[in-house]
Amino acid sequence: MPNMVAILGLPFLTCVLMTLILSHLGIHILRREVIFIDIALAQTAAVGALAGHIFFGFATDSLLGYLCALGITLAAAGFYAIARRHVSQIPLEAVIGVTYAIAAAAALFLAGLAPGGHVHVKEVLAGSILWSTWQDIGTAGLVFAAVGLGFVLFRKPFNRLSDDYDRARADQMNVVCWDFLFYALLGMVVTLAVRTAGVVVVFSFLIIPATVSALLTSRWQLRLPIAWTYGIASSAAGLLAAYHYDFSVGPAIAAFLGLTLALTAAGLRVKDRIRRTAPCARPAEPEANAPPR
Amino acid sequence: MTETPRFLMVQTSLLAVVLVLHTYVGLHIVRRSLIFSDLVLDQAAALGALVGIYFGIQYGGVGSYVVALVAVVAGSAMLALLKPRNPLVPREAVIGILYALALVASLLVGDKLAGGEAYVAKTLAGSLLWVSWPLVYVTTAVYAALLMVHWVFRRKFLALSDGTQDLTNEKLWDFLFFVTQGIITVLIVPVAGVLLAYAFLMIPAATAALFRKDWLGAVVLGWGVGLAACLTGLGASYHFDWPYGPTLVVALGVVFLAAVVCRAIVPRRAQP
Repeated sequence: MPNMVAILGLPFLTCVLMTLILSHLGIHILRREVIFIDIALAQTAAVGALAGHIFFGFATDSLLGYLCALGITLAAAGFYAIARRHVSQIPLEAVIGVTYAIAAAAALFLAGLAPGGHVHVKEVLAGSILWSTWQDIGTAGLVFAAVGLGFVLFRKPFNRLSDDYDRARADQMNVVCWDFLFYALLGMVVTLAVRTAGVVVVFSFLIIPATVSALLTSRWQLRLPIAWTYGIASSAAGLLAAYHYDFSVGPAIAAFLGLTLALTAAGLRVKDRIRRTAPCARPAEPEANAPPR
Repeated sequence: MTETPRFLMVQTSLLAVVLVLHTYVGLHIVRRSLIFSDLVLDQAAALGALVGIYFGIQYGGVGSYVVALVAVVAGSAMLALLKPRNPLVPREAVIGILYALALVASLLVGDKLAGGEAYVAKTLAGSLLWVSWPLVYVTTAVYAALLMVHWVFRRKFLALSDGTQDLTNEKLWDFLFFVTQGIITVLIVPVAGVLLAYAFLMIPAATAALFRKDWLGAVVLGWGVGLAACLTGLGASYHFDWPYGPTLVVALGVVFLAAVVCRAIVPRRAQP
């Protein structure tokens, strides 16, 4: 038992930290309907880190490597902020989708130039939460806290922008600047999180707990605690499953996040149907209890 | 010396064939704002092939295509049927989660395969260099058949995208649309890999959609721009010995970014 705690303790802490910040960002992203912004930013960050590694020899986990990744992510953030304002012919989601494709191809391109590139490709996707160190957690805690503070301070403009972009624009708000700030903060979190957890896992943390909370309630204050509980419980279950059945940690956690979402959605549908088929006094009890074998 | 022109001929013909249908289907996807549905199908095909390897079916063989097709049809059904009723959950979120889960499942299956990492990387990156004439023939035949299907039922499919008329069986047509898209996917993923297959579908269509509102004009423009960019990429890749598929997509990407910048500078002019 102590052995298991020693192995899974730090990864679990990392997951808790990521859940805390990413669920909040996820709720914003769901409202803005820019689901794939994170996967695109993450992939862009990976390209930056890879380019720094290949052209300048920075280690991907060094500060300089992080700065390379951050720089290119900020450029992408600026691009999205401007594209949202000026490109009206196709939805922003399409622009994001295409930049994701380009970034993914650029990563493969760079990986193809460097020897042993495709090991990188898998690591960028699946990450290596299992190898988190105290130093990683400390850095992540600091950056996430700073970004969280930013979100608390600027919650009013961010909420306005997420709720109704066109109205904010009509109200003479400087939408490009606020959008840039939003995507830049998001980019800082994603760049750091992706280094430990990988693209898919971060994406799952961002979007799945937020979706679960949206299914359960529409009240803003309740959504965050629900998302946090879901995220933390699923990461614990995923870590244990990965430990016992010898799977990669990151994908296992993501799979558990997906599983809890599927169960919640199915449960809500069943509840909905029961309520509709039995509108009068009959309560849902007989169906809810499993029939005796 | 004759090897080189012949090799380039095979590649060019395949690209020219592939881009017609890809641009058209991609336009549907862009206009319906279901951008990542294609990634779901691509990843489903890859997952099918990986599960096939787990049960001893050789990657790239006929059996592998069949398993991938089964996975893709299942994926299409999910895409068509899973529509959230909750207004707080956009449909794109469901698609994104399906994609993440398909990718995660692929990684987990890869964990249990001997040399799984190499296989996962192979399904992601593909191996465009293995293109051969038989593959071009099969692809051409299947694409022609799919184009026929899209032509015959064009009213239904266009109605899905334009939302101009009421469809009686919307979920069924949705499903059929995703199945045609999935068949393309099954053929293209072993060759191009998940990421490039997605890029080929999206980039020409998105570039064209920036400039044209009508369907025919957009398809022609997307096809032309796509082919020109691909041929440039092909030449550069051959000349500088760059990785083949990624170079093509980077070339397409440069064109798209240039188009976006162009649109941001002259946002309103030249609109029909």
